[in-house]
Amino acid sequence: MSNSKRITLQQTSEIIKDGSSLTFSGFTIWRRPMAIVYELIRQHRKHLHLIEVNGGSHTEFLVGAGCVDIWESCWVGHELYGKYGANLSRKVAEKKIIVEDYSHAEMLFRFVAAASGAPYAVTQTSLGTDIHNPEFDMLGRAGLRDGKRIAQHKYQFVDDPFYGAGAHVLVPAAKVDIAVLCVQQVGEEGTVRLNGQCYSDPEVARAADITIVMAEEIVPEEYLRRNADQNAIASFEVDYILECPFGAHPTGMFGRYDVDGSFLKDFYGATRTQEGFDEFAKEWIHGLDHVSYLEKLGWPKMLKLRANTAMNYCPREKKGGN
Amino acid sequence: MSDFASPEEYGLADLLCCAAAHEVQNNEVVFAGTGLPMVAIMLAQQTHAPNLKLIFEAGTLDGRPPEIPTSVGDARCEMGASRASGLFDAFSVAQRGYVDMGFLGGAEVDQYGNVNTTCIGDYLEPELRLTGSGGNPDINSFAKRTVFIMVHEKRRFVENVSYITSPGWRVKKWPGGELVHRRELYGAAYRGGPSAIISTLGVFRFDEQDGHMYLDTCHPGTTAEQIKEQCQFDLDISRVKGQTQVPTREELRLIHDVLDPDQIFIPKVKK
Repeated sequence: MSNSKRITLQQTSEIIKDGSSLTFSGFTIWRRPMAIVYELIRQHRKHLHLIEVNGGSHTEFLVGAGCVDIWESCWVGHELYGKYGANLSRKVAEKKIIVEDYSHAEMLFRFVAAASGAPYAVTQTSLGTDIHNPEFDMLGRAGLRDGKRIAQHKYQFVDDPFYGAGAHVLVPAAKVDIAVLCVQQVGEEGTVRLNGQCYSDPEVARAADITIVMAEEIVPEEYLRRNADQNAIASFEVDYILECPFGAHPTGMFGRYDVDGSFLKDFYGATRTQEGFDEFAKEWIHGLDHVSYLEKLGWPKMLKLRANTAMNYCPREKKGGN
Repeated sequence: MSDFASPEEYGLADLLCCAAAHEVQNNEVVFAGTGLPMVAIMLAQQTHAPNLKLIFEAGTLDGRPPEIPTSVGDARCEMGASRASGLFDAFSVAQRGYVDMGFLGGAEVDQYGNVNTTCIGDYLEPELRLTGSGGNPDINSFAKRTVFIMVHEKRRFVENVSYITSPGWRVKKWPGGELVHRRELYGAAYRGGPSAIISTLGVFRFDEQDGHMYLDTCHPGTTAEQIKEQCQFDLDISRVKGQTQVPTREELRLIHDVLDPDQIFIPKVKK
């Protein structure tokens, strides 16, 4: 086998196995690795454990398709285009998924801990809330806290032993098998350049055992190394790379294309029921590959979403509002 | 002399937006959520608080977006900012104590300002699972004060919320879950708590000593008794100051001609 880190879209679903724990790049409806998410759904991946700083449209696709057994995070929805995660909500009501709730900062700090090799993070957020209700430790209730990949406790309280600043909460490092990223540029050796807000991408890439980077374009390493201070993730932190233009659609990508709000609105409206989800997946996922997906989407839509390269987004006068 | 708009010139969203903007003071660091609060903060920036600093949770510090972002992860957040980075920066500056105020929302609130955005009904057997916490409890734990904007319905202003997602003035002390003043739990990190709720009927504030909610002003067309009737708990209406200030024509011009011309968050009233 060569040293190349390049893989195909189909190969991502061999690396991501049934039962893998996964995390993702991006933020709610921005820079989510949708082309890989669609491939996982096509390959009927099962029993996935998602551990996310925050969820979003990609979560709703995976959950709706029945790929996910456990979701550990703090939020799911489609922002302006769908006010909550209807698929997650339905699976929770049917008890087909275990949800472990943390706060947003707790999830972020859990990844910061994992990324720095620490067993836990300490914070003072969310004290006094039901996030710390001992009855609501859902992985504990399910008997899954083995102390290996899933921590022995959801959280622990500790009094500041150094400065006497009172109660703090310890939250366990997020130990996750695979981080799946969707970015603007990756080099042949794996160096990642992110543009715009980096969200929690550097932390999740470092925290995961395996990192897959799907980029709008693979560029020469030498090009990225000319301005190394602008790179976000080092080559050796990345295990696999692939090129997939428009791979984040319908989520947005800074500098490349905006969120496809009407697509997300349609998805949210159509997938309140399982039948609705299955219909949507039949139309937009099954039987398609990435190129035929883009063909179905069509050039007029893609041009409408395309960002202005000076502003890094698609100005509203071009779109006429959305 | 302020040029107040007449009732047919503004809508409820305009009134809420202006009331929210009035909560912000100049030179403050404000954590901005998505939607109406974002318009409110930018309205404050254009009027009485030109030097306020905006933080977007997804990783923008001192943002000055030229076009209003549709969410905090939006590509529009970065342009003009002092720093665009990630969540670690946003949450660590908040925990460090830089944030003066944050705007938040919720599905349910109780008399102590505890807010639920997680589920309706028993957490273990929910009638409806909602979005979850997001950064709501984090901003509410770290900021000096928070302002909530909420739809006012009797089923939302409740004796006890189904789930405390975000901490109010009297919160649960674990493992027992008895209610204590948040000062007891947060110790040296205690900075304040919810300072106002702007509902679709009125503006509510809190007594910091015992933590209970009271009615501060009624929106035009509502009375204190009507608002009390729309709460499941015994709302304190003994401190009502009068009517919520209505938008000025200049505020309406800024909202509709400058900040949100595409009516993404605030619909224009048809004249």
